[in-house]
Amino acid sequence: MTMSPHESADDKRGTGTVLSDMRVMIGSLTLANPILTASGTFAAGREYSDFVDLTRLGATTTKGVSAVPWEGNPGRRLDETASGMLNSIGLQNPGMEHFVRYDLAWLRDNAPELPVIVNVVGHRVPEYTAVIEYLEQAEGIAAYELNVSCPNVDAGGMAIGVDPAAAAKVTSACRALTKRPLIVKLTPNVTDITEVARAVEGAGADAVSLINTILGLSIDAHSRKLIFERAVAGLSGPAIKPVALRMVYEVARATDIPVIGMGGAATGTDVVEFMLAGATAVALGTANFTNPQATTDALDELIRYCEQQGVSAVTELIGAVRPAS
Amino acid sequence: MAKFLEDARILSNMNFAPDLWSLRLQAPRMAAAIKPGQFVKIDLGESGHILRRPLSVYQADLKAGEIELLYQVVGSGTRLMSAWRPGETRSLLGPLGMPWPVPEGTRRALLIGGGIGTAPLALLDQQLKADPAITVTMVQAAQTAERLVARGFFERTVDTWLCATDDGSAGACGLITVPLEELLATQHFDVAYVCGPEVMQAPVARLCAQHGLRCYVSLERRMACGIGACAGCVVKTTSGLKGVCMLGPIFDAEEVCWDDNVASRVR
Ligand SMILES: Cc1cc2nc3c(=O)[nH]c(=O)nc-3n(C[C@H](O)[C@H](O)[C@H](O)COP(=O)(O)O)c2cc1C
Repeated sequence: MTMSPHESADDKRGTGTVLSDMRVMIGSLTLANPILTASGTFAAGREYSDFVDLTRLGATTTKGVSAVPWEGNPGRRLDETASGMLNSIGLQNPGMEHFVRYDLAWLRDNAPELPVIVNVVGHRVPEYTAVIEYLEQAEGIAAYELNVSCPNVDAGGMAIGVDPAAAAKVTSACRALTKRPLIVKLTPNVTDITEVARAVEGAGADAVSLINTILGLSIDAHSRKLIFERAVAGLSGPAIKPVALRMVYEVARATDIPVIGMGGAATGTDVVEFMLAGATAVALGTANFTNPQATTDALDELIRYCEQQGVSAVTELIGAVRPAS
Repeated sequence: MAKFLEDARILSNMNFAPDLWSLRLQAPRMAAAIKPGQFVKIDLGESGHILRRPLSVYQADLKAGEIELLYQVVGSGTRLMSAWRPGETRSLLGPLGMPWPVPEGTRRALLIGGGIGTAPLALLDQQLKADPAITVTMVQAAQTAERLVARGFFERTVDTWLCATDDGSAGACGLITVPLEELLATQHFDVAYVCGPEVMQAPVARLCAQHGLRCYVSLERRMACGIGACAGCVVKTTSGLKGVCMLGPIFDAEEVCWDDNVASRVR
């Protein structure tokens, strides 16, 4: 039995028990464990380094990176909802050059072993490909995640991801530019998410990630005004977990590529549920706001679960859910 | 300064005026680390409420290892807080944000507080008064006399204390800008510190600018991460969007685009 990456002499505490192998694979990429961060909730890791030993994460996914800086949306950007929150950030980011020079450089210096997945955004296909072309020159990127699912912008994002043909087009355009693993992030705001998943699989995606936020809306009864300038915003957090689990379950059955599950996952038990539904890896997003060390807490819990349940390799959990009776 | 999580035990949670509360917590690490103007985020400890509430720190007692937060019940989160009992434990995240800057050579400081927003001026007052060369003048405003938050503390500790209330139950009757204008016309100050509702901060900042007085304000926004990761709490400044949680909450009033910000606020 080979040592799994999280093992150490300390972990064994002299009991002689063999620990579970936590490794999972996303395309050609091997991750030390299935726990990732969800784009836009973890910046590029640095802000969380007071709370999280970043090298313990399976991978980190960055905030959406565009070819040029994006201002994001005006007005209010957040609203807490029952067991969740709405956001209308609008993909504010300082652009790809700033990303490589500062954020990627910081990650390379401070967490060199941590796989970095870059979330890529654009309004149109040439903007996505411009980011990929530029990032191909940079060292230390483990994979790309094409964001065709952000509900908070007028062009690009979800406007592409609701249309299987458009999603396939941007996927194949980016596929042609890189050998790095290509993940396509899907929106739940469609009638049949498996259709889009199959379309991007056909266009060369190595994996899909889901779900991005669910379209929602907030109103202030006292002022009788909309809370958000764009009216709609994206719902995330525990409130959306059942929807996310259902979609992961459907997509895992409809495609042959790995699924990265997310949407309300906050604990190790949630991670197990997403894996049983068919996810190969699981990202925590909004949970980081409630508990900045949610990721490593979830990893500890996942490791305990595997040990207690006699799971020798965490990959045994993937899609292993059983019927209710 | 490293940020950290600390489990804090509730020592008391007291209602001191209609919908105004004081929460005292046993939190020795936070008490030692917090600087005037910085804030903490407190976990509501309820699964339905996923976002920690940002609260400024009113008092920090290093020796006792205690901090005191003042809050107003405005929504479902703060309503929940008002039911908290001594002995319960809540998770604190902090210290967050940048402290109030004290410019080199400050001799005469002016504190301007409105409503519950007056609370974060108390630690600043203590810091300023620790320097015998600095005199502190304060103008405090509230709707009514009983809502002049921490009035006893400020009256005792500042050199000159003035107030204004909407109903005239204490001090000048009406807007804070009236007594403030008189004060600025007759006295010189090196720096002004303003905290309170933005509809009060904006005209106060304008007044300070007219008198060439350097002015710092403390802004509030809905927050998600609180540590500069999510871009949820941005304000418009002359040098672009800035996150309140990391680059604030204290801003130089001159860099805040008041019209854009006040207009886009929904309370
Ligand atoms: C504040 C915020 C910002 C986000 N920014 C991005 C982004 O830049 N790119 C992206 O693909 N998804 C973004 N998302 C979506 C999350 O990555 C995730 O798909 C979604 O929030 C569901 O997971 P959760 O419930 O664990 O947060 C963002 C979500 C939030 C709450």
